[in-house]
Amino acid sequence: MQRREFFKTSIVASAAILGTNLAAAETHQPKVGQRVSEMAFPEKRPMITYSDRPPLLESTRATFARGITQNDEFFVRWHLPDIPTHIDLDAYTIKINGLVEKELNISLHELKNDYEQVEVTAVLQCGGNSRSAFTPIPGGIQWGSGAMGCAKWKGVRLSDLLNKAGLKKDAHWIGFNGLEKAAYYKTPNFVRELELTELDDHVIVAYQMNDEDLPYLNGFPLRLVLPGYYSDSWVKMLSNITVTDKYKSLFFMDMAYRVPDNKTEGETPEHHAKTTKPITHMNVKSVIGYPENGMQVYHNSHVVVRGVAFDDGHGINKVMISVDEGKTWEEALLKQENGRYAFTEFRFAYKPTKYGKLHIMAKAINRLGNEQPFAKEIPWNHGGYKYNGIDVITVEVV
Amino acid sequence: MKKIILIATLAVGSLFAQVKGDMEVPYISYQIKMGHGFDAVQANCLMCHSFGYILNQGPQSRLFWSKKVDKMITHFKAPIMKDDKKTVVDYLFKHYGNGKLK
Repeated sequence: MQRREFFKTSIVASAAILGTNLAAAETHQPKVGQRVSEMAFPEKRPMITYSDRPPLLESTRATFARGITQNDEFFVRWHLPDIPTHIDLDAYTIKINGLVEKELNISLHELKNDYEQVEVTAVLQCGGNSRSAFTPIPGGIQWGSGAMGCAKWKGVRLSDLLNKAGLKKDAHWIGFNGLEKAAYYKTPNFVRELELTELDDHVIVAYQMNDEDLPYLNGFPLRLVLPGYYSDSWVKMLSNITVTDKYKSLFFMDMAYRVPDNKTEGETPEHHAKTTKPITHMNVKSVIGYPENGMQVYHNSHVVVRGVAFDDGHGINKVMISVDEGKTWEEALLKQENGRYAFTEFRFAYKPTKYGKLHIMAKAINRLGNEQPFAKEIPWNHGGYKYNGIDVITVEVV
Repeated sequence: MKKIILIATLAVGSLFAQVKGDMEVPYISYQIKMGHGFDAVQANCLMCHSFGYILNQGPQSRLFWSKKVDKMITHFKAPIMKDDKKTVVDYLFKHYGNGKLK
């Protein structure tokens, strides 16, 4: 079968799933094969582009054949339309105020010279990554699997900054604000709040990504790095850290990035859960980067399946591969040299011996024994968050 | 903690933006479906976000679009008048709807 025809069939097949008028919710594989835009955004290659204002860019699947995501391929997600187009590096400061002994305005020069410099390699993933796996279609951008990436981040520990400022006795919550702005004055800022107890020494304020300055669209000149957490709290163009005693009610905390507060984190399209909780920690997930859906591979050839797996920092124990619809599973080889918050690279050598369609499945298991469920086992939620189904790609053996 | 690597020496080199001059985000012209209500969409929605943000939500119910516009008014403080709200929802449901009321 020609590649193009094959694509057509898979599109028809998925349209059939999406088009059913069933009230019942269903979870399936997320969208694949989205085209990259012809236009490149600053410091980026052409990427899958959903919006220019605010910029929303997705990495292609091929990106995930490697454990470090290049800066020019790294996904982009902003919330508000107005991003500063110029940063004055001499004037830029990060302000630390609120319940602190000494209010600080730290310049970039001070940040790089007066504090211990540290690095951590960590996965950054949008809570809505793979949202297109859910039917009925939840509101929000219909991401495929590329609203994620893994980079080596360099900066200073948040705790060192807070210690320098000196926390007062009642300090309990930390608010983070960046420079993105809304069109209207009254629109709430994209402020995130975290409980002090959640912030360990792995949380850093980073100015470098993969040994380069952060790209503008990834938060130049500074962003918060919260290993293990979904990206909603990794505030970009970080300008202000405010320490408070009480949780402040904020739109982006109370209304967005939340899942049903029950054991399965599921609900039905008709009856949304009454109580919700923030998405916080990432669940165990894997994505196959090569081969890609719709590719042809030769019969009896040596195919090396490659991909990445990760969780919230407990670490990946195994990645299992199935080429027989999930009846039997074999262990993939793992490469883990960047620490437990990073992508684990996996590879699996396989020789296809049957002609025709071949499904390749990847399932990651972490050190707690948590493993990815099949997509259809994942309950629906109306925000379309936290999809982590066993990844399935389909190729044609010719 | 041991996974954070301590960098012994002081940082060398300084920060510089890798773009020369001001950064510019390119403008993308999305294929917009023309029809009754488009003017209201242009006047009320595109102030804050691109058309891509709308059409990449996928086809949705009338209730969904109505709630989205309510969210823009209530939470994001978009100054959308009542008449315009109905026009916008009608347009969105007609062109980007899934045929279901809710």
